Amino acid sequence: MIPLRIKVEANADQMFVVRLRSFEGVTREHKAGQLTPFDVVLDRVGPEGAHYVGEGGPIRILGIDPANVDGDVLLVNPRRGTADRLIRSSSRHNTFLVTERCDQICLMCSQPPKRHHVDLFPYFETAALLAPEGATIGISGGEPTLFKAQLFDFLERVLSVRPDLSFHVLTNGQHFGEGDREAMSCIDRGRVVWGIPLYSRDPVVHDEIVAKAGAHEQLLENLAIMCRLGAQVELRTVLMRPNADGLLKLASFIAATLPFVRTWAIMQMENIGFGRMNWKTLFYDSSEGFDIVGRSIDRVRSRGIDAWLYNFPLCTVPEPYRSLAPATISDWKRAYRDECNGCSVKDRCGGFFEWHPANRGYSKLGAIQ
Amino acid sequence: MNVWPLKFRDMPDGSILFCDDAGAFFRSSHGFLDRYAADSLTALDESFLREGNHGFDREFDLPWTSFAYRWARRQARPTRMNYVILVPTLRCNLACGYCQVSRVAEKARGFDWSVETLAGVLSFLGRLDGPDIKIEFQGGEPLLRVDLLEAVRDFCRGKFPQSQFVVCTNLQALDERAWAFLDADDTFISTSLDGDRATHERQRTHGSAVTDVFFRNLETAVSRYPEGKISALPTVDVADPPDFNALLDNYERYGIRSVYLRPMNHQGFARKIQQGDNVLARWNGLHSEFIELLIARNHRTGRFMEEYYFSQCLKRVLRFDADDHVDIRNPNFFASDYVVIDHDGRFYPTDEARMLSRIGRIDLSIGDVETGIDRAKVDLLNSGALNHFDPDCVHCAYQPFCGTDVIDDISRYGRIDVPRPDTWFCGRHLSLFDKVFEILYRSDEPTRASLAAWLGLGRWDDSMAPAHQ
Ligand code: SF4
Ligand code: SF4
Repeated sequence: MIPLRIKVEANADQMFVVRLRSFEGVTREHKAGQLTPFDVVLDRVGPEGAHYVGEGGPIRILGIDPANVDGDVLLVNPRRGTADRLIRSSSRHNTFLVTERCDQICLMCSQPPKRHHVDLFPYFETAALLAPEGATIGISGGEPTLFKAQLFDFLERVLSVRPDLSFHVLTNGQHFGEGDREAMSCIDRGRVVWGIPLYSRDPVVHDEIVAKAGAHEQLLENLAIMCRLGAQVELRTVLMRPNADGLLKLASFIAATLPFVRTWAIMQMENIGFGRMNWKTLFYDSSEGFDIVGRSIDRVRSRGIDAWLYNFPLCTVPEPYRSLAPATISDWKRAYRDECNGCSVKDRCGGFFEWHPANRGYSKLGAIQ
Repeated sequence: MNVWPLKFRDMPDGSILFCDDAGAFFRSSHGFLDRYAADSLTALDESFLREGNHGFDREFDLPWTSFAYRWARRQARPTRMNYVILVPTLRCNLACGYCQVSRVAEKARGFDWSVETLAGVLSFLGRLDGPDIKIEFQGGEPLLRVDLLEAVRDFCRGKFPQSQFVVCTNLQALDERAWAFLDADDTFISTSLDGDRATHERQRTHGSAVTDVFFRNLETAVSRYPEGKISALPTVDVADPPDFNALLDNYERYGIRSVYLRPMNHQGFARKIQQGDNVLARWNGLHSEFIELLIARNHRTGRFMEEYYFSQCLKRVLRFDADDHVDIRNPNFFASDYVVIDHDGRFYPTDEARMLSRIGRIDLSIGDVETGIDRAKVDLLNSGALNHFDPDCVHCAYQPFCGTDVIDDISRYGRIDVPRPDTWFCGRHLSLFDKVFEILYRSDEPTRASLAAWLGLGRWDDSMAPAHQ
């Protein structure tokens, strides 16, 4: 598994953002031209770690090969002696967790909410500006739009300074309003995708899954606002036993009433957080019951609306639908199993969540010849 | 609930098809029509209409917004010129009986781009913005002037991050330089293949030696290039149609699965040919027969072929984003995303407009590479390039899916205000969309399988075409 937090030693009191540079085989003058005040450069590697020097002062990284962190942007917490790899330069899956608070408590939440909140937006802004060319950065939580004023400001500033970057924001969609028109018009809407969950056509089922009365009604109203604001919406439906039966109805509803969504993602569940706790009652074995999934995805696609399967191992999907199942499980959460040895589609397959249970998961899987 | 206006049309099985202005549709009964007309919808009617998003409660609520979105998306409004059809020479080494693209003899002089025209074309291309360009070389036979093709291609590759080239060629005379030109990965081949060998020879090559050359070159191209590089179109003479089975076999043999069946063109020199009475009805019959044949054949072989234009119409019915084909979209404004440049440097809004002008009936040129596009003339043509306000189309259930063809109207009737139902365009499209809906509401397995393949779906199921009592 790829570590997201590493050990560091730094001589400072406050948290700070820094980018690690190795510059192997690059001349001194060339280096100088590429450095920002947030860069530190690899000086030497020894048994006691990798030493970096730069304007921000020296820091030492422990327990990880400098070649694996070249270009990474870290949020260093010197008191704790740790650093979060906010941006791993070699990865397409970088996400800023902007808060742990949330106003919903979804049955399968992989990141259960906490009351405590620390505002890290200034650090995130610095980090985003140091991201590699053309990166897409994820924004997640908790519920990021509980702090939507800061969020809109952050997006507006970063997108205007860095015309090459894009964002993917995961939000429950409960907090948008007509009043956001102005803020929304200041950000480049073509470069922000809002990932918003809708679990069912039936308000009762949806509200039960998110544990918030009235959430469904509010969401539909806000989706209309998102449409009128020209926001790009990725609609996300985690497939579970409580909503699987209603999937086709949901698909018809999307086809008729949510034509403006950019994508519909039917997602397999992640066995962590509440998802692990409730796994037995929630997990829907789509390797057995794919029919409803296939019909739903066809229903939506027949109307020209894009629909995809996220987090589905390819061998659990019938052949005609495999091209609709991209490898979406983030690199640092991804694992393959013994069954995957010799599988002919392994390089296109996202495999499993690292924590996927061995004996209570898909009943049908195994290498595709 | 406020119900959006519904337009309707009888279906062959006695039921009625209903469509709204945003292109949502369903099949229902005379009973429903009566209730709808008398404003006495039942609770069941209302809930059906609500599920299909045919109504709303308040302005700006979700159903209202969705309807507005879908309606707006159905309006084609391309804004960037990224497709240019070039005619570097009018000369041709074949003389097809009904030449689609008015041509002159191979040895004729003064029908190729001059040095100045080439410079003008390049400078026009140089002023286009955007990351991509598609160039289609038409003729005459464009490969008679590979040098001009090379000059254009080199220029575009340098100017645009992505460029694509299509050479519309009769594949008769290919020297080494021509093959080398076609070898490039960004260059595609479009040719005519009128069916089986006999039909092709009758309509185009007129002699077995020439036919041999064509098929030899086609074979070479097919074996040399990956699938998808070569496309072909058959032109069908309504008075003497080819054997469709043989046509499909031949296309499949050359790895071409999409067939755009075209009736012999009314413009150019083809209009002089007498095709007999009732051409429209016969064409519609042939086309419908072809679709049935495809469905049966696909079912039999398990390998799916399509009729390109029918698939396009099918997509226009089901989806709001299928306006990437210039033959059918609405509005269909001219010189917005594509334009034709003739052998003398003149701009035309479409290739048909170019042919029509060439036979001297009317001058539909819209400027030239020296003076630029004549916007006043384009605006005049554009005033008829939409069906929104046409007094017949506004009552037609197919309006959201249909389009217009100003140039075809001018060509056939010399004017653009002929009542729609009297036009070739309308007659063809009424019949096409009738066929689309007939097929959408059929439930036999062969039809379902072809529908799924044409729409790129895993499976088609009956509930995808909504129905109400
Ligand atoms: S066997 Fe493994 S690699 Fe192959 S499709 Fe299944 S999960 Fe993916
Ligand atoms: S042209 Fe004919 S088929 Fe098309 S919308 Fe108008 S009336 Fe209907």
